[in-house]
Amino acid sequence: MLELNRLYKTFSAGTPNEVRALRGVDLTIDPGSFVIVIGTNGSGKSTLLNAVAGGFLVDSGTIRLDGADITAWPEHRRAALIGRVFQNPFSGTAPSMSIAENLALAARRGRPRGLGWALTRSMRGEFRDRVRRLNMRLEERLDNPIGSLSGGQRQALTLLMASWLKPKLLLLDEHTAALDPKSADQVIRLSDDIVRGDKLTTLMVTHSMQQAAQMGDRLVMMHRGAVIHDFHGAEKQRLRADDLLNRFEEVRRAEQLDESAAEMLRRLYV
Amino acid sequence: MLLLIGAFTIGLILALLAFGVFISFRIFAFPDITADGSITLGGAVAGVLLAAHVHPALATAAAFGAGTLAGATTGILHTRFKINGLLSGILVMTALYSVNLHIMGKSNLPLMSERTLASMADTAIHGWTGRAMLQVMGWEVSSRDAGVLALALVAAIVVGTLLYVFLRTNLGTAMQAAGDSPQMIRALGVNVDNMIVLGLALSNGLIAMSGGLLVQYQGFADVQMGIGMVVWGLASIIIGEALVGVRDIGFVITGAVMGSVLFRLIVAVALRGGLDPNDLKLVTALFVFIALVLPTLVTRMKRKAIVTT
Repeated sequence: MLELNRLYKTFSAGTPNEVRALRGVDLTIDPGSFVIVIGTNGSGKSTLLNAVAGGFLVDSGTIRLDGADITAWPEHRRAALIGRVFQNPFSGTAPSMSIAENLALAARRGRPRGLGWALTRSMRGEFRDRVRRLNMRLEERLDNPIGSLSGGQRQALTLLMASWLKPKLLLLDEHTAALDPKSADQVIRLSDDIVRGDKLTTLMVTHSMQQAAQMGDRLVMMHRGAVIHDFHGAEKQRLRADDLLNRFEEVRRAEQLDESAAEMLRRLYV
Repeated sequence: MLLLIGAFTIGLILALLAFGVFISFRIFAFPDITADGSITLGGAVAGVLLAAHVHPALATAAAFGAGTLAGATTGILHTRFKINGLLSGILVMTALYSVNLHIMGKSNLPLMSERTLASMADTAIHGWTGRAMLQVMGWEVSSRDAGVLALALVAAIVVGTLLYVFLRTNLGTAMQAAGDSPQMIRALGVNVDNMIVLGLALSNGLIAMSGGLLVQYQGFADVQMGIGMVVWGLASIIIGEALVGVRDIGFVITGAVMGSVLFRLIVAVALRGGLDPNDLKLVTALFVFIALVLPTLVTRMKRKAIVTT
């Protein structure tokens, strides 16, 4: 479903702020696969998601989604194939518009928007049904502005909106990071239900080792802009949160070794 | 009475200006100064066409069209060339000053002897009632004044309703979302830049149409007529929101009409009461200042009252 081929991206190239965010990322994801992406800070995991979504264009490499080469497509064009939930609970919804209006907007993701009526009675019925399944009593408040909802409720709605039209690819970018533990738990369980229920191909970035161990059927670990570990199948099922933490420690230790070795060599010979 | 009718009529005509400013300022949070230029553009285009004996309805429609071009230009400067929104509006407004002079050929264009929507309304009322002067609540009103008032009322209602309906369509809701949360709507497949250009085009089209109607009422087009008009539009919206609240788009649109008329009434009464016309713009600015500050003051006083009881 998704093929990433030798993706390179450098920000502020040539300046003191230069960041080599992606250094030759290769990744192929099968349809229906639920992939978790973890990594150290600055490893490029959020950048990777942003690159796939089209927030910026990569310097080199190709991105193919459902057979189409989307490497040069602008973000709004890719949106026809991609559903997205952001880390910021305020980014995925329009605060001054009602829940119903937001859902109506999501129901036309990627489709042309003309002078047809946005919110019909039959749509309202469908909205009420699907919002009821969130179990957050939001179906009674469909005409309330979204700005009045809590972060957890907004993320739940954003998730519902992103998956409304069964996208070819669902991108979850640390979408529970900004929520309190109870809301985060609710949203994670909802995410799992939706991804499994609709068999959506999903890429989820997370900071939580627990989420990474418990969810998904494949785990990709990134460091410094490249993929360093890739677990799937039985190996992924066996992973525990501690195993992942150990992997992080290994990387850190290897890094320190490199750095202290370089320092020592510098002192001795320079 | 003549004073009131005049104020009402201009207030209703300028409600279209308020609608336009509503789209740019409230929907897109875009401080669009183009309005000062596009209202004059509308007046100039309509005026020149009317002087050339074009049908007034066509001339007014052409004014709308010219306004959409001006608005689209501002939008393109902002989205394609990444020029700051405020600056884009100022650039177009400045350029329009020369454009308007070229269109009119001179700085003032008289229209009293031409066929305009006002003269057509006059003829219509005259034909309908058979009289040149009407009796309204004990006052004498010319058929021209009554006709234009009715025309302005119809225009405000029709355009307001069309705007409301448009904002309830898929395109209209997408446009609102583009102003409210561009990141969200981009992730739902909408080209935000196109929405901005379309929104500004629509906004300035309405503003220019307002100018086109205004010159037909006034009986002349003047190249200076647009100066300070954007503040007028903003004031109408703010007053309207203070009067009817911001809960529903329908309320805001109705509020804009009420605000425009109320504002014009207050100015008319002030002028009658002895206000120096030279001070008019100063008073306008003061009034908008108060309208902006009052809601916050009122909320603060209410809060203090709750705390101290």
